[in-house]
Amino acid sequence: MKKSLLTVASGLAVASVLAACSGDDTSNEGSSEGSSGTQEITFWAPFSGADGPNMEQIVNEFNDSQDEVAVDFQIVPQSEYYTTLDLSLSGQQEGADVMIMHGDQIMTYANQNIIKNLDDIVGDQISQDNYHPTAWEGAEVDGSIYGVPLDIHPLMFYYNKDLFEAAGLDPEAPPTNREEFLEAAIATTNGEGQYGFAVPTLWPQQFIFPTVVYQNGGELITDDGEVQYDSPEAVEALEFLHSLIYEHEVSPADIQQDGELTLFLQGNSAMHMNGPWMMNQFEESGMNYGVAPVPQLGTEQQAVFANSHNFVIPETVQDDAKIEAITTFLNYVDENGMAWAESGQAPASKAVYESDEFNEMKQQPEVAKQFEYVQFSPNVENWGPVSDPLFSAVNEVLLNQSEPQEALEQAAQDAQASLQ
Amino acid sequence: MKSKASGFTSFLFVLPYLIMFTLFLVFPLIYGIYISFHDWNLISPIHPFVGLENYSAIFISGTPENRVFLNGLKNTAQFVIYSVPLLVIVGLGLAMLVNSLPEKIRGFFRTAYFLPYAISVSVIAVLWLWMLDSNSGLMNQFLNSLGMDSIPWLTRLPFAWISLVIATVWWTIGFNMIIFINALNEVPEDLYEAAEIDGASKWHKFLHITLPTIRPIMIFVIITSTIASFNVYGQPYLMTRGGPGESTEVLLMGIVQQAFQLRQMGSAAAMAMLMALIMIVISVGQFLVTRSGERKEKNNA
Repeated sequence: MKKSLLTVASGLAVASVLAACSGDDTSNEGSSEGSSGTQEITFWAPFSGADGPNMEQIVNEFNDSQDEVAVDFQIVPQSEYYTTLDLSLSGQQEGADVMIMHGDQIMTYANQNIIKNLDDIVGDQISQDNYHPTAWEGAEVDGSIYGVPLDIHPLMFYYNKDLFEAAGLDPEAPPTNREEFLEAAIATTNGEGQYGFAVPTLWPQQFIFPTVVYQNGGELITDDGEVQYDSPEAVEALEFLHSLIYEHEVSPADIQQDGELTLFLQGNSAMHMNGPWMMNQFEESGMNYGVAPVPQLGTEQQAVFANSHNFVIPETVQDDAKIEAITTFLNYVDENGMAWAESGQAPASKAVYESDEFNEMKQQPEVAKQFEYVQFSPNVENWGPVSDPLFSAVNEVLLNQSEPQEALEQAAQDAQASLQ
Repeated sequence: MKSKASGFTSFLFVLPYLIMFTLFLVFPLIYGIYISFHDWNLISPIHPFVGLENYSAIFISGTPENRVFLNGLKNTAQFVIYSVPLLVIVGLGLAMLVNSLPEKIRGFFRTAYFLPYAISVSVIAVLWLWMLDSNSGLMNQFLNSLGMDSIPWLTRLPFAWISLVIATVWWTIGFNMIIFINALNEVPEDLYEAAEIDGASKWHKFLHITLPTIRPIMIFVIITSTIASFNVYGQPYLMTRGGPGESTEVLLMGIVQQAFQLRQMGSAAAMAMLMALIMIVISVGQFLVTRSGERKEKNNA
């Protein structure tokens, strides 16, 4: 009996995991003054992928360019990033002095007053005019600025030029609207395992479905917190994606996680939608791909769903000299962010995206073309969990296991309940 | 009668374990219970006491907590029911198979079957994700070459469960097998010899000698397998993402989301406590049922 109780107890490890997490996990030295009057600032970012070295290059160049401020750049893996952030911030201890935060997370942290309202700093030390206005708005909560934009990453449209050419399409003229998109998709589907556009049923549907909803003139949640997952615009968007699989048959059914990506990389799917961060993978695959703004698949207007990277400062950073050191660094990134563009992203700094060097790149100008009409996630806290019922519904419908209207109504109901 | 000194020496020997046990199990457990009585937002400095509110939210129908917990529990229970019998039966079957091999190759197969157990779940998941890919996976290409239709392994029920169970059995079966091999080696050889003289068939020997002798080990394997299956997380999280819809979204996925995406540690801790309670009840139940079966048999004998 004793033995079995011990094994039972091991099951309780779940509880221990949860409890242990609220303990002090990250104790960072909060030293502000280094030797010989150099301000040291700690900078956290989730760039554990191919983009890490690009940011590191900017930081190194900054550190070499002057000797008043020394930035200590630390990469926290993406999957653990916000948990690590939370633990450091909840400990009310000094973790990072400046850190990267996604646009859809800013509101949650701003409402808890744990990231700094930058209204006083802006104008004085940071110039709003240096950034794309949409990016700036994305970092605002209730009219106050909480983050300094680094980039905007909207959904992108990728296509296989070889397959376009083989189907008699112009490889330099990617589709721009629903009609052209369908034509291209039908032309590149051959009925022998090659498809026009493999429709994902999971990620990155989180970017694709909202894009079509916004293009239909709809929205996901109103500013008053009314969930609109079952609006006619949303239902139409889902019916359209569904029709690609089951009516036009330009996509196979039953695609599981990453299945659409595999098909695109194998040359078995002519078109693909994903974030600009995929560039490196497509480059390395050696395929002859093209990249363009997402075609207008909706019926009303051009729009594209996006997220963004922003620099935020924890409320715990109070020392004026330190804040000045941080803004010195941010202004340097603003002026010298070309290395970030080389990762495939489009920086939100005019100094970068308006430059000739930037506009000669392959993917990056296409990303920046979409800045004008990007749509960020709705103004709610915890967009991730609030949108979960929606993307479960999208998943079920695209697997032909639910009706669009019914599934979206249920999702709207569940999301509304979690907002209250 | 033991001397005080030897008692102290024994205490010293268990001390390291005791410290670890307290540090990593007792303390977190108590802390977890404490958190579950508070409105514990991870990024808020204030954690007001709310009594049993976190628990009642789980039981009131219609709340998000209720939905997450019940759906998760239902799916986890399904996984336990599908996987545990296979983990026990296949484990025992493999053990007998490996044991009956010639001694020279026995070690090789024992290692081969045990090897997957040493691999991390993320590797296992990626491996099976590639093999079970609906459109370009190995499994479906194999089926197609035999003239059969593709199977939507990860996107349709019941196949999603079948895939998760297959991956789990392949991953963890080696552990149960090793335990059963040891148990089988402990069965006294003379019992089989005696039975053979009495003319017992192989099946009878298995039923009346092997099974009763390894019963305590069997109970151990059933209980540990149940606990392990209850804690399922990585396979559905990485292979099906809880889909289709939310039909393979297991309890731990819901709890982790509650804790780290919604940052509601209080409600997540309450769910974890309930989950632990359910596991304790089931394990004790399993133990009592199997023990009473043992007693009955002894009385009959």
